[in-house]
Amino acid sequence: MASAAPRAAVRGFASDPSVRVRRFADGLATVILWIMAASIVLMLAAFITYLFYLGFHSLSWQFLTGAPSEAAGGGIGPEIYNSFYILVLTLVFTVPISLAAGIYLQEYARPGLFRSVVQFSAESLATVPSIVMGLFGLLIFVFYFHWGFTALGGALTLTLLNLPALMRVTQEALASVPDSLREASMGLGATKWQTILRTVLPSAIGRLTTGIVLIAGRIFGETAALIFTAGLSVSANNPYELNPFRSAETLAIHLWYTHSESIIPDVDRVGNGSALVLLIMVLAFNIGARVVGGALTKRFTGR
Amino acid sequence: MIEASPASVETHEKLNASHLDVFYGSFQAIKDASLKMQAKTVTALIGPSGCGKSTFLRALNRMHDLTPGARVEGSVTLDGHDIYAANADPVVIRHRIGMVFQRPNPFPKTIYENVCYGPRIHGERSRAKLDSIVERSLRQSALWDEVKDRLNRSALDLSGGQQQRMCIARVLAVEPEVILMDEPASALDPIATSKIEDLIGELKKDYSVVIVTHSMQQAARISEVTAFFHLGEIVEVGTTTNIFTRPREKRTEDYITGRFG
Repeated sequence: MASAAPRAAVRGFASDPSVRVRRFADGLATVILWIMAASIVLMLAAFITYLFYLGFHSLSWQFLTGAPSEAAGGGIGPEIYNSFYILVLTLVFTVPISLAAGIYLQEYARPGLFRSVVQFSAESLATVPSIVMGLFGLLIFVFYFHWGFTALGGALTLTLLNLPALMRVTQEALASVPDSLREASMGLGATKWQTILRTVLPSAIGRLTTGIVLIAGRIFGETAALIFTAGLSVSANNPYELNPFRSAETLAIHLWYTHSESIIPDVDRVGNGSALVLLIMVLAFNIGARVVGGALTKRFTGR
Repeated sequence: MIEASPASVETHEKLNASHLDVFYGSFQAIKDASLKMQAKTVTALIGPSGCGKSTFLRALNRMHDLTPGARVEGSVTLDGHDIYAANADPVVIRHRIGMVFQRPNPFPKTIYENVCYGPRIHGERSRAKLDSIVERSLRQSALWDEVKDRLNRSALDLSGGQQQRMCIARVLAVEPEVILMDEPASALDPIATSKIEDLIGELKKDYSVVIVTHSMQQAARISEVTAFFHLGEIVEVGTTTNIFTRPREKRTEDYITGRFG
């Protein structure tokens, strides 16, 4: 009897055919989902490997720092500089405006006509194709203001392009902060602004950083909006100048330009090298921002 | 409606709600509620879920200002001054009337930063002063010995009961006169609950405490005065002993004997 009991228990829990079917479906779903997820990693890895394979030979100190040329042997130094220049300039405009607008909409605005209008405008702005925004920048900054092709015109066009997205990110980051924290702060006698400054924003800093990084990646890779506004050439007198009123071809544009408009003989070398550098910079930016975001979160939350 | 003035406690009237109505949009959540809350006394608000006891509590330090669509009529006086007067600043009121919430809501900051949050927003900058405020508040909330070596760790790493005591310390740090507690132990286990109850017993030596609780045993253990809420009205107010042994109203009796709730 004592030895029979365990065997009976085993028989008692043996699966019947209908359970086996469900278990098979469960296993199948797990495998399929895993393959889908793994294929994303695989595609990225293959893409990066291929770009490395093609572009690695182009990399040299001369290529990275040298000036572009219509003859063979041109470099991309000024383009790298311009990419960062326009990125920083665009963020200088985009971050404060979209943070302020997002904070207003999420924390202050009561439901009503004004909030709906702002929200609707932002969403409409977000759907404008970048080439259309580029043409708008051409009409306003290049022609109407008589600036010509300028880094500033490019940065302002990119600001218009990315403002709605970052505003949306800000709203969502703030919405993710639980109301119980706002109540805790207000309950201690904090004003609304103190609550936002000391509790809401620090709690949202991780998501905000992530949002800014994603926007930065887009700015880095943007071409259509810049072709007509920042121009296709680097500054003639000093390619590394700080003046925003000069043409500023970025790396992404250079990549497009060499393959479509220019007649340089070593187009593949320049193109592959530029693509690789662009990729490395975007990746480095992503990783760097994660580190910064993590450090900021730790700094503000003590975790 | 009979108001309590128990002889066993000091009869200084700290907080006085009179003819209070609270609306959410067109729904009236509190109807003509009047209650006097004495200094250095624990007043318990009991009643079934949805009876309006938390809504009433939140009207006592103008937390409804933060809820879109909420409206309060009637008056609440602190030491005789109406907190709903036109020139009354909710920031000043919440400084003097602190609130502890149902779920522990620590800021995602260090324990130290949590406790000195209030003093900092009220302009205290001296590190030495803040240090001493943090120690005093944590000692008062009986948490000091447990956390004194990890003040710079995240408050989120504390247990639920510790978090709630830290939230109480955070309120004590701004030295309020009245402490409102909205079911402060409902999310805690029995041991943590009994620590909170002991703490409330200590706090009433210096503060007026108004506590919402769904636990009649808890009300019986910690309060001197109990108000019974039902369907947005205060049905009965009296000394806790009277409410639980000789209720005057049928509805009170039905509730405390477990016939509904």
